[in-house]
Amino acid sequence: MTRKFDIKNFIISHMIEFLLVVLIVCMAVAAPGFLSTNNILNIFRNVSLKGVIAVGMTLVIIGGEIDLSIGSQVALGGVVTAYVSQFLIDRGIPIEYSALIGLILATAVAILAGIGHGMAICRFRMPSFIITLATQSVMYGLAAIICGGFPIINVFPSWYNFLGTGKLFGFVPFQAVILIIVFIIGWFLMEKTDLGRSIYAVGGNAESARLSGINVQKVKIVIMVAVQLMALLSGTMNSAQVRSATFGFGRGWETLVISAVVIGGASMSGGVGKIWGTFIGIMFTGVISNGMTLLNVNEYMQYVVNGALMFFAVMFNTYMNRARH
Amino acid sequence: MSILSTLNITKDYPGCRALDNVSVNFDSGRVHALIGKNGSGKSTLIKVFSGAISPTSGEVFLDGKKLNFQGPTDALKSGIATVYQELSLIPYLSVAENIFLGRLPKKGKTIDWKTANERARQLLHKMNVDIDPTERVYKLSMWQCQVVEITKAMSYNPKVLMLDEPTSALAQNEVHSLFNAIRALKKQDVIIIYISHRLQELWEIADTVTVLRDGYFIGNVQIGDVTYNDIVRMMFGEVEIRHRPVDLVARDKIVMSVKNLTRKDKFENISFDLKEGEILGIAGMLGSGRTELLRCIFGADPFDSGEILINGRQVPKNISPQIMKSLGLGLTPEERKTQGVILIHPIRDNLCYASLDKICDRHILNKNRRDQFAKRQIEDLDIKIPDSLAPVSSLSGGNQQKIVVGNWLNTSPRIMLYDEPSRGIDINSKQQIFQIIWEQSCKGISSIFVSSELEELLEVCHRILIMHSGKIIGEVNPGEYKIDMLYTATMGGKVL
Repeated sequence: MTRKFDIKNFIISHMIEFLLVVLIVCMAVAAPGFLSTNNILNIFRNVSLKGVIAVGMTLVIIGGEIDLSIGSQVALGGVVTAYVSQFLIDRGIPIEYSALIGLILATAVAILAGIGHGMAICRFRMPSFIITLATQSVMYGLAAIICGGFPIINVFPSWYNFLGTGKLFGFVPFQAVILIIVFIIGWFLMEKTDLGRSIYAVGGNAESARLSGINVQKVKIVIMVAVQLMALLSGTMNSAQVRSATFGFGRGWETLVISAVVIGGASMSGGVGKIWGTFIGIMFTGVISNGMTLLNVNEYMQYVVNGALMFFAVMFNTYMNRARH
Repeated sequence: MSILSTLNITKDYPGCRALDNVSVNFDSGRVHALIGKNGSGKSTLIKVFSGAISPTSGEVFLDGKKLNFQGPTDALKSGIATVYQELSLIPYLSVAENIFLGRLPKKGKTIDWKTANERARQLLHKMNVDIDPTERVYKLSMWQCQVVEITKAMSYNPKVLMLDEPTSALAQNEVHSLFNAIRALKKQDVIIIYISHRLQELWEIADTVTVLRDGYFIGNVQIGDVTYNDIVRMMFGEVEIRHRPVDLVARDKIVMSVKNLTRKDKFENISFDLKEGEILGIAGMLGSGRTELLRCIFGADPFDSGEILINGRQVPKNISPQIMKSLGLGLTPEERKTQGVILIHPIRDNLCYASLDKICDRHILNKNRRDQFAKRQIEDLDIKIPDSLAPVSSLSGGNQQKIVVGNWLNTSPRIMLYDEPSRGIDINSKQQIFQIIWEQSCKGISSIFVSSELEELLEVCHRILIMHSGKIIGEVNPGEYKIDMLYTATMGGKVL
């Protein structure tokens, strides 16, 4: 029952990796300095904010759902932490602890949001697209109300800021390390645990999975919570990086996150996808945006390119899936 | 009078020859059954007729005119219409709208409903059925949908009408209504090609039988000249039809008791005991409540009142498939493709979804054990696969069914519930499935077996409960009961 090695199949199933290599070669030629250690670490750091969410989103998409509210969670998470921290500082609690308590509360909010999404999917049989479109607006509004429309500043201690700007060994951005760790955990979860296999099963066919005695509700709640927690992690890293929190953070990130997952080969109908694919997908978007910056492409042009990228990625995937069968 | 004929049709696929020099003739005004086990080439031949594929060599003639199709629309233009197994009707549109979809008669710019309904009524009338053209399709029963589908095909005035397993989703009483409609069609001078897995219906509906095996034309016979065994021999060469081993007896221990189980509007007051190693059949028409009963026992649907005892212990009322699995139950659902397997996922994974807890140590997957679990079922159940990583969708119906069974056998169940395990699969695979059920019975595993094919129940089970309109109306012993008596009983007649 071993597969014969087939070069054509190998290329088809690793097409996106080849494209990434081609892209890197093109960039290296077009933009001098692209391959420098600093720039490469920079790419990792730049993609880390969206990359950690993409890991959560991969679980959600493989599980047959979607979460459009992650951008708002990025803002809300940072704002809740900052607001609570400010509140406690005003009452004489040292800044080191106030931010920690804020972060714990923000975690509780993110978990509640995820559970809420999961319950609405299972109990009320609502499409996650609509649920999270609604909560996207709700959470954005809450973030704006809490911070009063202005950035909250001077509420983060140095350990918190390390999450945003810290460096290991003096040159490896801590955010890049977090990114790699999250990807490894995601990969382990999906490939090596019964929970991961259950996510594939539920996304592939929820009714078959249920009749195989898999707890579909638990799986749906777990994935919706996971992506919210990853959005919170991203929001924490983001507010630490800019040393303040406000409601405008994360606006529109869902487009880029979802396109990274889809470029990586996940199917929007669920049951298909790989964490490794998402890693390639997020690097793909990172290399393109880094290249555009190096080549001095207009900032707004980058939106056009990102949207186009998502469109063509889906087209490409659909085509490849047909070619494979 | 028209004739559809092929001359030395051959179709090669990479690595295999699906049709080998097949020459056949079909004339109008009669029903021609086209049969063969999976892989016999009958689907390939149908695809050639319907223009979906073109043969590697050989020719097709309709009334002496050579046909050369570029695609399915060409076939329809030349007068060949096909009704596929999967119905293509749109539920929320009316019968007439479905029949004339895309070509509704118009008055100026607007749709002329009066003419559309009148023409639909005439077409339906020709088939001897009384269906209101303005009715929404979702309100119709399965056989009526099938008739509407046929009417739609007939509205193109075809010379050839191909019916692909029209009865596969119908209950026995519905089959009769459909057959009446098909018989009415014979008067319309059309060549009817009828494909079916249900051999026993051929004597009711077919005039001739054409058999293919492994891509070869085996024979064309008048239905009156042959017996069931003759046909089976033509399809399979020499095979032995197995019967339940006589030494297979149920033990005394009661493993499951169902007491006064009721689910509103589905079934009521169902009570029975299941013994260790026993194979208990449930006979009933579609809609008798048999599928709903199995699903409730397995915890897939909730029940309203009554109780279920496993090994004498009462099952909590908020049951779920998870709980029932932990108590040793397994269910192979009626809808294999949508409820039994995950079509896009590999064979290997599909064999292990119900036993994920067994192939994991503290939630961490043990790959060796997973591969062993998959391999064990592939070997034990004789599942024919190219590669254990191929998707289940690439398998035949019979092998898919074995995947569903294997998925459950990997959980080491004590009680297996089989809902229509033999639907839409060929005789060889059916026999293998029965063999598996017998082998499990030998090991002391009890089974509940639901089927609309009554002769199967008589062949496989120790004991048969008869269900009608949500109630158990009798219990029979297969040894003392004949098929026609069982049939009458499931239709609501007296149990003798």
